[in-house]
Amino acid sequence: MNLLLNLVRRDFKRNRAITTALAVFLILSTLLMAGGLRVAGTMLSSLNGLNELAVPPQYLQMHKGAYDEKVFESFVKDHDYIKDSLIVKMLNINNANIVYQGETLEKCLMDNGFVIQNEGFDLLLNMDNEIAVVQDGEIGVPVYYVEELGIQVGDVITLHQGDYRKELTVSTIIRDAQMNAALASSKRFLISQSDLDEISSYMGEWEYSFEFLLEEDTSTAVLEKDYMDGGMPSNGVGVTGSLLAMLNNLSYGLVAFIIIAISILLIMIAVLCLSYIIRATMAEENYTIGEMKAIGFPGKAIEKLYQMKYRLLVLTAGVIGYVAAIPFGDFFSSSVVMYCGYGNEVWMKWVLPFIGVVLLSLIVMSGCRRIIRKNLKSTVVELMRGEEKIKKEGHYSLPSTGLKYRNLSIALGELKCKWKEYTLIFLVFAFSSFLILLPMNMKNTVENPSFITYMGVGESDIRIDIQYSEKLSEQRDTAISYLEKDSQIEKYSIYRNGYVQLQNEAGEWEYIRVQNGDESVFPLEYLEGSAPDDSNEMALSYLNASELGKEVGDSLRVTYLGEELLFTISGIYQDITYGGKTAKAAIDFDENDVEVYIIYLDVRDGVNIAEKTQELRNILTDSKITPISEFVSQTLGGITDNMSLVEGAAIAISLLLIILITVMILQLITAREHSAIAVKKAIGFSNRDIRIQFGIRILMIQFVAILMGTLLANSLGEAVFGWMLSSMGASKITMLVEPFTAYMLYPTAQLLVVFITVIVGSKVVRNYHIRDQIRE
Amino acid sequence: MIKVEQISKSFKNTQILHDISFEIKKGDFIAVMGPSGSGKSTLLYSISGMDSLSSGKVLFEEINISEMKEEDLSGFRLNKMGFVFQNAQMLKNLSIFDNITLPGLVAKKESADDIRKRASGLMKRMEIEGIEERDIREVSGGQLQRASICRAMINNPEILFLDEPTGALNSGATDQVLSILEDLNREGMTIMTVTHDPRVAAKAKKVLYIRDGQIAACKEFSVGADRESELNEWLKGFQLTA
Repeated sequence: MNLLLNLVRRDFKRNRAITTALAVFLILSTLLMAGGLRVAGTMLSSLNGLNELAVPPQYLQMHKGAYDEKVFESFVKDHDYIKDSLIVKMLNINNANIVYQGETLEKCLMDNGFVIQNEGFDLLLNMDNEIAVVQDGEIGVPVYYVEELGIQVGDVITLHQGDYRKELTVSTIIRDAQMNAALASSKRFLISQSDLDEISSYMGEWEYSFEFLLEEDTSTAVLEKDYMDGGMPSNGVGVTGSLLAMLNNLSYGLVAFIIIAISILLIMIAVLCLSYIIRATMAEENYTIGEMKAIGFPGKAIEKLYQMKYRLLVLTAGVIGYVAAIPFGDFFSSSVVMYCGYGNEVWMKWVLPFIGVVLLSLIVMSGCRRIIRKNLKSTVVELMRGEEKIKKEGHYSLPSTGLKYRNLSIALGELKCKWKEYTLIFLVFAFSSFLILLPMNMKNTVENPSFITYMGVGESDIRIDIQYSEKLSEQRDTAISYLEKDSQIEKYSIYRNGYVQLQNEAGEWEYIRVQNGDESVFPLEYLEGSAPDDSNEMALSYLNASELGKEVGDSLRVTYLGEELLFTISGIYQDITYGGKTAKAAIDFDENDVEVYIIYLDVRDGVNIAEKTQELRNILTDSKITPISEFVSQTLGGITDNMSLVEGAAIAISLLLIILITVMILQLITAREHSAIAVKKAIGFSNRDIRIQFGIRILMIQFVAILMGTLLANSLGEAVFGWMLSSMGASKITMLVEPFTAYMLYPTAQLLVVFITVIVGSKVVRNYHIRDQIRE
Repeated sequence: MIKVEQISKSFKNTQILHDISFEIKKGDFIAVMGPSGSGKSTLLYSISGMDSLSSGKVLFEEINISEMKEEDLSGFRLNKMGFVFQNAQMLKNLSIFDNITLPGLVAKKESADDIRKRASGLMKRMEIEGIEERDIREVSGGQLQRASICRAMINNPEILFLDEPTGALNSGATDQVLSILEDLNREGMTIMTVTHDPRVAAKAKKVLYIRDGQIAACKEFSVGADRESELNEWLKGFQLTA
């Protein structure tokens, strides 16, 4: 054992650079593997934990307007499969009437409702995941606002309406299994019963949520059907638990998914590199192995010797990677922990990474053993002569006009003959470029105001929501009369949102949200077909069309106010709002049935959107006015913030990866070409010339790889992004690229990093002398 | 032409060359002999500037090349020196012809056409025409060694350094190479070669015998002498064989 350790120690000393690079590579791989699994473990535990403790409903039906509580109770009694039920009374308050630190919440897109703590299920939890309790004069604030506005315990929130003012002190932060996610468009504040009673007498509009827990193995579709057939209150959207889970998973999962996807990609690259490096370093060891065999060292002992080296490396890397993954994983799961807590299965974040590291180690070890055994099969003579290395690479010709640019000509010629040796580094460079660009392009796409086109409307500057009033039409008229007069407004269009019932594929009736307005003002690019032209046509969102199994040209039966209407599907568009399920049709909604009026407008060139928004807020005080860029970023909430983190991590990891691979490839290639280097020096090439030649070869490979990575990011990346967002309602995303950053800044940075690495890494050229080629 | 003044070379506490001085005159043909590990090749590489010195200096036409920067030294080697090695070291991704022309094209002393003509002439003279486009592994050892002499001669150097030029050749090929070297020296080319082979050393005008990093003895042949027997006698006098 001591002998083996001594040999390993000597080997480390001899191959210090390559061993260090190999160790860093292994550490990086285990770090990513363990880090990715730690994020996944934390996320699973957190989401499960929150759901177990808060018990969100399996089905809920929103409703505005009157209802009969007794009828609801008897409905519940009559249906055995209903395990539990609740009527949650939510007092919706206009954001303009909620003040925090002297500013209203007008800038926030969320609809804010005030509720009391529920009993039985759909519980609002505090930051210790215990049932939150507030006293009179206190308020529990959704965790979303801690992140968005920095609201803290002890702060004061003021509600006002006319002369009425109510100050509430923040006593707890709320985790809400139902509406936690930024993608959920409403947020719930917790107050006491007496405060709710008091406030409701001065302000707000009641909205009700009829919520259900079902017995095991009962489908929500059965409940939906019975609920509708029973004529239960349903002036609003019906939401299944699975949709809520999807919103949550998307909010937290998207980032975890990207990290894990990047980790898997990097681990694949790392394993590829490792096997190449092990094979290459083992090839360098052939002479020594031959010598050992020649003096009668048993094959098993030689295998043990080399395995010992890699075992030690893997063990060290495994421990360091696992430990380093703790802060790495915690950093990327901080968002889900903040929103959901740690959950009950905390062991997962420790055990999953451990299993991952062990698996990765086994893969590396078995790869090593395979390569070592293969090498041991060669005879002593083959090993010592290095016969397997003799491969014909082919020739290149020197230019007939002479060597005007000698280093360039020679580097390109050699690259032509040795391109196979550069396959790995090419792949790593291409993947690195892909990894840098993909999250960046995703972020750019999501942050761009044109992302609104994936939210079911064409590009515009500002959105006005008219929602909180008994007199919506009055407010709408006020808004229109102002917009008509404002010369800074280039164009606007008003849309009415209401609900109709339609029959799904299973023949069940369900509610869908329909928007009615002039679709030509802010034209939307349709996935298929076009906007509805007349009152007999309807356009469906992608998710609605998929779920209903409808295509353009199909007919669709809906009922509104008891009347059956037949529509032809005119087009399918992308929409990630309202769970991705919307429609557009010219349905003449009754004034009382209009849930919300939404006005989209464009300002004239040169008009400042932020200033115009503020101006409109001062005038249309009862409406919610949001610049579209703000609307997009708030709808996607923390996703864009997290994407910035992912983008930063991807850049750092990719750059580290290309430095490592450049160092290792340089070491291996210069060692392999030691004879050619020595000959070149003997016939008059300087060290600088030879280093330039290596630099040209590597940078040339990198240049092509960056082009390839960029192409991949734009094509494959777009497809991946589309696939990720398809569950939200947008299947065909056009990736928006910021040309300067994507095509200039980052490629230059990558080339520069490799250039510097080549300058440093190619110094080894100095060590190769012609005298080493000759044994005296 | 070259003055070697008190050069020493040590590597990791081992003294390889110790305080060596001698002079190479234009038209000289010097052979360096000595037992394995005596420092013969190190002496050759130290004089040619391919290896650094621990102390002392080498003056090439009064220019101290020991103090030259690596960049300048490589240019100096390219233009003034030719090298031939034991294993005919050549670049495997170039044909024989391109290997020969490469130093000429890099030096740019003549046009590309002139360099190619010169390379063809050298190959003809060395009797290796017809192998121009071949791979270096497709020719015999003798042909390859003659091709490497062509490469060494392409820039018309002032001195030719050879390290065991016949060490890997059979006797037929050795004779061919020796005859070429003799011819070249007769035409005025200065040659310095390291060798174990008394047949090679016998072609030289002067033999330096190196032992333990020092010049143990120096032999100059008298005109018209049977050099090979004289050399063997001389070596016997040391009670040594090469």
